[in-house]
Amino acid sequence: MPMTRLPSEIRPVLDSGTPAVMVTCSADGKPNTTVISQVYYVDETHAALSFQFFSKTIKNVRENPRAFVCVFEIAGQAHWALQLEFERSETEGPVFDAMDMQIEAIASMTGMSGIFKLRAADIYRVVSVERVQHQAWTSPTA
Amino acid sequence: MDFIACDILIPGKLIRFLEQYANVAYAGIRDRDLVPFGHRVSGWRVGADQRSITILFPDEFLPRLLESLQHNRELALTVEEFPSHETYQFKGHYLRHRGIEDGDFDIADRLRRRWVKSIRPIFADAPEDVLKGFVSPPSLAVDFEVLEIYLQTPGPGAGTRLVPPMER
Repeated sequence: MPMTRLPSEIRPVLDSGTPAVMVTCSADGKPNTTVISQVYYVDETHAALSFQFFSKTIKNVRENPRAFVCVFEIAGQAHWALQLEFERSETEGPVFDAMDMQIEAIASMTGMSGIFKLRAADIYRVVSVERVQHQAWTSPTA
Repeated sequence: MDFIACDILIPGKLIRFLEQYANVAYAGIRDRDLVPFGHRVSGWRVGADQRSITILFPDEFLPRLLESLQHNRELALTVEEFPSHETYQFKGHYLRHRGIEDGDFDIADRLRRRWVKSIRPIFADAPEDVLKGFVSPPSLAVDFEVLEIYLQTPGPGAGTRLVPPMER
């Protein structure tokens, strides 16, 4: 069942640095899917996403604030499906500073130093969150 | 802006990328209220016409997926090669769907093996089954016509439309 608050079990998944996927939708109804490097836990009802480039994603959430994020829990063979709504953008403060530091670490680990640069921390309200266990293979190729 | 489907061909370089190198993909849709939703992908195959892609979906949220696709046909597919991060997004329209056939499991299994090979250096001690569990067995095949292709490899060029080419 979907929850409306981020449970404590999701924190290590968000902190793992595993890339996530974000889906947004333009005002004229075209979905956009992109890989994002960071989903930051702000509090039980808010998450922050990094704004690094002036992208279609950024344009979409300014037109249509709803967003979907999928965070992968590789060891648990599961993922978390988050429905979010964009609230505001922060360019300074504790959330921005923490994300900036994390993003530099992720860039360095993934060979993206000099490419990843945080422009803003976009703060989203959590609309719903759900953990989805991946189905096991039962076919002969399992 | 709508594009005429017959003008769009997936370039050979991208077909090779899709069939030989890419190892993870994710699909995006939206509902009648413009609420976006994402779906994991178990595999894909480029159509013989080079204008369409068949996406294999696992058994997750399938009623919502089909309802949205049949309502507005809008579909976006991001495909990445990890760990190089070479990434492309294919946007287009839902054509049809069908149940899974024998060959679809082989496609998903090939993707699973490619994925495990790519991620093994990062999860050196993880059991094979855990890493394989990232790619689920397919339950539904959806054909969609590709109308636009975008570069999404991280960097300043991300978001550039490759097909049809952007006007200069």
